[in-house]
Amino acid sequence: MNFPAFPAQAWDGRLRNRAQRIQRAAPLASGRQVAPERIVALLEAVLEPGDRLCIEGNNQKQADFLARALVQTDPARVRDLHLVQSVLALPEHVDVIERGQVSRIDFSFSGPQAGRLARLVENGKITIGAIHTYLELFARYFVDLTPQVALVAAQAADREGNLYTGANTEDTPAIVEATAFKGGIVIAQVNEIVDRLPRVDIPADWVDFTVAAPTPHYIEPLFTRDPALISETQVLTAMIAIKGLYAEYGIRRLNHGIGFDTAAIELLLPTYAADLGLKGKICTHWALNPHPTLIPAIEAGFVQSVHSFGSEVGMERYVSARPDVFFIGADGNMRSNRAFCQAAGHYACDLFIGSTLQIDLDGNSSTATRGRIAGFGGAPNMGADARGRRHASPAWLRAGREARAGKAMPRGQKLVAQIVETFREHMEPAFVERLDAWDLAESAGMDLPPVMIYGDDLTHIITEEGIAHLLLCRTADEREQAIRGVAGYTPVGMGRDRRAVENLRDRGIIRRPEDLGIDPRLATRDLLAARNIKELVHCSGGLYDPPKKFRNW
Amino acid sequence: MSTRRMSYFEAAARARAAGLVDAGSLVEFCPPERRRTSPHLARLDAPVAFDDGLLAARATLGGHPVLLAAQEGKFNGGAVGEVHGAKICGLLRRAWAERPAAVLLLVDSGGVRLHEANAGLIAISEIMRGVLAVQAAGVPVLALVGGSCGAFGGMGIVTRLCDAVIMSEEGRLGLSGPEVIETVKGVGEFDARDRSLVWRVTGGKLRRALGEATALVEDDVAAFRAAALDCLQQARRASADLAALQAAQAALEARHANYPAARDGLEIWRAMGLADAERLPMLDAQEFNRRLAALDTERVQ
Repeated sequence: MNFPAFPAQAWDGRLRNRAQRIQRAAPLASGRQVAPERIVALLEAVLEPGDRLCIEGNNQKQADFLARALVQTDPARVRDLHLVQSVLALPEHVDVIERGQVSRIDFSFSGPQAGRLARLVENGKITIGAIHTYLELFARYFVDLTPQVALVAAQAADREGNLYTGANTEDTPAIVEATAFKGGIVIAQVNEIVDRLPRVDIPADWVDFTVAAPTPHYIEPLFTRDPALISETQVLTAMIAIKGLYAEYGIRRLNHGIGFDTAAIELLLPTYAADLGLKGKICTHWALNPHPTLIPAIEAGFVQSVHSFGSEVGMERYVSARPDVFFIGADGNMRSNRAFCQAAGHYACDLFIGSTLQIDLDGNSSTATRGRIAGFGGAPNMGADARGRRHASPAWLRAGREARAGKAMPRGQKLVAQIVETFREHMEPAFVERLDAWDLAESAGMDLPPVMIYGDDLTHIITEEGIAHLLLCRTADEREQAIRGVAGYTPVGMGRDRRAVENLRDRGIIRRPEDLGIDPRLATRDLLAARNIKELVHCSGGLYDPPKKFRNW
Repeated sequence: MSTRRMSYFEAAARARAAGLVDAGSLVEFCPPERRRTSPHLARLDAPVAFDDGLLAARATLGGHPVLLAAQEGKFNGGAVGEVHGAKICGLLRRAWAERPAAVLLLVDSGGVRLHEANAGLIAISEIMRGVLAVQAAGVPVLALVGGSCGAFGGMGIVTRLCDAVIMSEEGRLGLSGPEVIETVKGVGEFDARDRSLVWRVTGGKLRRALGEATALVEDDVAAFRAAALDCLQQARRASADLAALQAAQAALEARHANYPAARDGLEIWRAMGLADAERLPMLDAQEFNRRLAALDTERVQ
């Protein structure tokens, strides 16, 4: 074969650049170990203007020591950074933008810093590349957003630089793999340096530097819901979900959101669902963090398997003591993995159910509100039909049959449900004609309104008024009336066509509690398998060790 | 429902009262439809309740006639205002006249209602006098403490006048509430946001260990009923003669001498010789009572 003659070129630019960085940093380290007081200088030596930088952090663990160090670097040397990371959760993540060291960000979620971020965007201080889902951002790490430098967090390192990330492994493997194999630099903060790790989660030759942080990395107990705060309306919607959706479709593989609505479902499994004879028939396999509110269902034998995105503070001992259920290493501790669990939630679950702030007449839902740029983390991947899925299950097949009646090619569909009270906090209606997301898109100059779950992926809405089977609707108008029909006394609900809604009810598209044989008067908190955190501890046989802020003993 | 049980802590006053007494026996005095609301709250444009946060009723308990008052903690923290207090006083007068088997006070109150402080304070003193009069007439008065507001301020004093005090761990008993102590003496004296500390100091387990509560039960309406029935059958009346008062005084002095610097329930439990003090809050009422009883037995020997 005759190739055209290409000009000779070097193919190892990245590797040579990497070697230069390591060379600059070497005098500041002792082998792979860096003393905490030299970390600012090390970051200044390693980082170059224009670098894509990932500061590890999710809504759970945070490389907080390294984030604080970054804010102390010289803005004349460390500048023009492009942050590519899951969350902007810590004040330091936004401080470094305010200090003018960052020119662009690509991220997934910014919960606590959403207001500050929106102001920075409005003032032109920062350009947002895009707001991704977690899985989407990880995917771009391996295509066009590969970090030059990654600052990660681990539980412990050994003298050679192997990392133990333990139960809170979370995003670390995805970040480190993308960075280390494309000529990047990986710097890990660890809570301690030990002689022997319980196990190796990240091998030493993927890690360039380790630093023992003066304080352990922060972990937010984000998935702990105190059962004492579950309302009786939420008990009712949980009963509707169990009888009208889980039992109806025989849903065994699922993912739950993190709200009180779904915590109520978890706590009703050993009581209400067990009384309905559903043990072993629903909720056996989960993609879910170790929610404390799942303990009673696990103890009752409902749950066969749980794979987790991350861990949960206080659940470590309990999880380790239930190796048949959770994913446990040979060392006896859980390993989480956000990327794999997101994939599991997307492809291997038949149902996602979660909550939102607003739903419009097409069934689009969003938690975006004006003046806050927050993103949705993993929810859009959980709450979307997996178009690439090819394996069948009874629930998936039935949903596909219902949604595609009359079409020639049979296909399955994922069940995606939103569970909301018709009025949320401060009497704000959950149902609206127009999502606030439109205003936010306009004010922040976004390409698209930030929608968490698109209406065409949404199959069910559950409120205290009943359940709407949107996938049974045949026209846009029917769908709108089905949504209005469960919107109660909100303006959207009051605007319903009564005859159309009664017709939908006759056809079983809307089912009221009484249609399902549920007496709302029996929806009391006494149905919850645990009514407070202490009962969860009892239920766990004393293995669950809740954080102090959840204790009253 | 096999697993259903009614939390006393979470139940509203009417649900507690109805679950406590014999089914269907409850007859309310001045029920909500009479709309005896607080004139003071109305003047301040504050929300009122048709029963002013108090249920007063007659009922039977194990077939015995009883009179009962139940405070609604969800209305103004169960605080005692003029109408609220008058309903309790009226009930006590009726008890003095009718001599039922017992009077049950389902206390759930932070004390006097600040919006009507003078009327509330007078009401508290009248309730105290009423309790003493009823007791002098030979009718036992039982306090039940297991609601979210506990028994504080004037209602804390009233509770301690009673012949028996039935508590759950969740119930709290004290004079000044945690927030009041913190406000007056500073967070260094008492951190009201340290929920764990608050319950270790004011909660039912320490109160039982110190003898201020006569029974510790689970947070369960049925358990409160069983304990109240038990009190009724034993018909134990705290004597108010000189010897009894002197004994009470001596006990208080001994307690002060035994735990002079204790700042936490944990220290008292340790000083009492209860093993594994840190684990005591996790024990259920039955196991806690068993360990406490074992301790008393040791002491007697």
